[in-house]
Amino acid sequence: MTAVQPIPVEDPFDLLVVGSGAAGSVMAAQAARAGKRVLILEAGPARELSDLVSSQIWARRLKWSGAPVVEEGNLNIGHAFNSGWGSGGAAKHQYAVWPRLHENDFKTQTQYGKGIDWPFEYQDLQPYYDKIQAEVGLSGDAEAEKWRPPGEKYPMPPTPVFAQGRVIEKGFQALNMSAAPIPLAINSVPYKGRKACLYDGWCDAGCPIGALANPLVTYLAWAREAGAELRNQALVTRVIHDASGRKVTGVEYYDAAGKQHRVHGKAVVLAAFCVQNARLLLASASDKHPRGLANSNDLVGRFLMTHPANSVYGLFADETLPYQGPTGGQLINHDHYKEKLKGRAFGSYQWLIANALKPNDLLGIANTRPDIYGPALQEFMRKAAAHMGAMVFVGEDLPLAENRVTLSDKRDQYGVPLAKATHNITAATEALCEAAVAEGLAIFKAAGAAEPWAGPRFGMHILGGTIMGSSPEKSVTDSYGRCHELDNLYVAGSGLFPTSGAVNPTFTIHALTLRSADHILKNIP
Amino acid sequence: MDKDRRQFLRNSGIVLSIAVAGEVLLLSPAQARAAGLPLQLLSAQEAATLEAITEAVVPGARKAGISQYIDKQLAASHEESLLMLKYLGVPQSDFLSFYQGGLRSAAALAHSRFGKNWSELASSEAASLVTAIAGTQPEGWDGPPAAFFFFVIRSDASDVVYGTEEGYAAIGMPYMAHIAPPEPW
Repeated sequence: MTAVQPIPVEDPFDLLVVGSGAAGSVMAAQAARAGKRVLILEAGPARELSDLVSSQIWARRLKWSGAPVVEEGNLNIGHAFNSGWGSGGAAKHQYAVWPRLHENDFKTQTQYGKGIDWPFEYQDLQPYYDKIQAEVGLSGDAEAEKWRPPGEKYPMPPTPVFAQGRVIEKGFQALNMSAAPIPLAINSVPYKGRKACLYDGWCDAGCPIGALANPLVTYLAWAREAGAELRNQALVTRVIHDASGRKVTGVEYYDAAGKQHRVHGKAVVLAAFCVQNARLLLASASDKHPRGLANSNDLVGRFLMTHPANSVYGLFADETLPYQGPTGGQLINHDHYKEKLKGRAFGSYQWLIANALKPNDLLGIANTRPDIYGPALQEFMRKAAAHMGAMVFVGEDLPLAENRVTLSDKRDQYGVPLAKATHNITAATEALCEAAVAEGLAIFKAAGAAEPWAGPRFGMHILGGTIMGSSPEKSVTDSYGRCHELDNLYVAGSGLFPTSGAVNPTFTIHALTLRSADHILKNIP
Repeated sequence: MDKDRRQFLRNSGIVLSIAVAGEVLLLSPAQARAAGLPLQLLSAQEAATLEAITEAVVPGARKAGISQYIDKQLAASHEESLLMLKYLGVPQSDFLSFYQGGLRSAAALAHSRFGKNWSELASSEAASLVTAIAGTQPEGWDGPPAAFFFFVIRSDASDVVYGTEEGYAAIGMPYMAHIAPPEPW
């Protein structure tokens, strides 16, 4: 017979932050710097720089290892690959490609009759992009990015262009297209005590030298320095509220030993990424919120997005030495970003050019040609190790109500229903992908690849699911991530994005969270 | 090997330990294979089939310790497992049945086509079966979809053959570790 153990009670915090990735870290750092008592609850284990071993096999420990997410649809969001596990979340294995959204990403419904308008404009976010950029340090060439929206110049010079970038750039030039140095949250020179990059292509395994701005060396570190407490292996299972149902009082979580805890805070920020944030809101249903928190309009989980992406590959006569450089790429192209309406296709897109390659893993050289095996594979690998080139198309997804996170009938070990993620793209997005792949193959041919090929379409990044907006009838939160239906419950991260744009979201997550933090801190007594 | 490193390796689930004359030795999968250590989850026949198939797909997989690698990772917790299958939408509770189902179907295919075990096939026979698994759903196959199974074990074999410092060197690619992995896996 076992006695019922009382749930431990501790002094309330000013701010509870669920998740220690990009959004959670920025929020926690800003609150701790303002003198608030902050607790970060991270489901995964503690990770330090010394854990970031250079190996594509070991790198898998940095990816999602929590409760499985059931996926369906014609373009999976790739939850297990795109999410992180442990301190720093997905930002720990990000490739640090940090372009800004463009001005035409913010009002696509008004401007093009597609998608959902953001509750503010680019110029409202611009100061936050600039602040983050100065604090974190970005490398790039603002003038060479002729498509770049207004903003401060980069604080560091661009990272160098290596052989692979120079070879592929010829294809862009031949087709009168441009290839600018890629904007990266990677130090090209030492910056604020952090080292410069060595260009060894180990970004996916996590950067242990601190040249890449992952949370372990930026906002998570700064949050802890300012006094925020980080609790690892603290799996939040429920958000709890007061008798009125208008205010949240805290969360319940389980520790590594399976013991349940309840902690209280004046405000709660959910920063556990798109799918888990939605799952947590839905699974926290109560008598006051029978459909789940913030879900009286059945919007939680909806408008789930992922950037449709395709890689283009080729073997070149010239040496490309593709192991050199950042994984995210050496060059970038946004030539056609401003044109979202393209006949039957819809959406902006970008090329990330000359990605550093490793031999193995999902995106490694061997898997770019899964049709080759036996002795022919050895021959291919030797040739590709010195002569391969790669670039990746990143396209805009459309927010669709039927693309959503729902709760499954199956439950995890604590009885919380698993998340199911449904995601399909429409014909307009498919047409965007097909046209881009054709363009990419033409660029590679023009650069001298005899027989370029494209990899399968895949989902890069996860966005939406708890979108922000001006109207409670059409969105889950306001523009600061505050849930319309609960006064002190906030959501942070790319789950707030009403549209996806076609750029890597991590810079925007940082800027958006900084904007929210300013607002939240004014509202915590 | 110092104590911290040994503890680190053990926690990470990448090595196999064996007690010899009171001393615990930690072995990489390739060393464990050479030492003839027993597997935890895969049967000897499953291991033999796995080695024969992956050797035909990615030459060098057998010697690199593909069976020991898969067996060890299947026995690890989800958090510590290094299998690429984690990325591909298969829940961990199904990992073992994924490999066992694929290997069972592959073994049955070798018997129905050639009346042999995989380890007894001539290289041309093995190659013809690999082509059948890679490109089609062979008749009678009841494991995970054949082409998907092929993709996964080909990736696993690429991990053990090419994803190590030795493997990089073999294709002329500098490894350039920031922090060298304490063991390949």
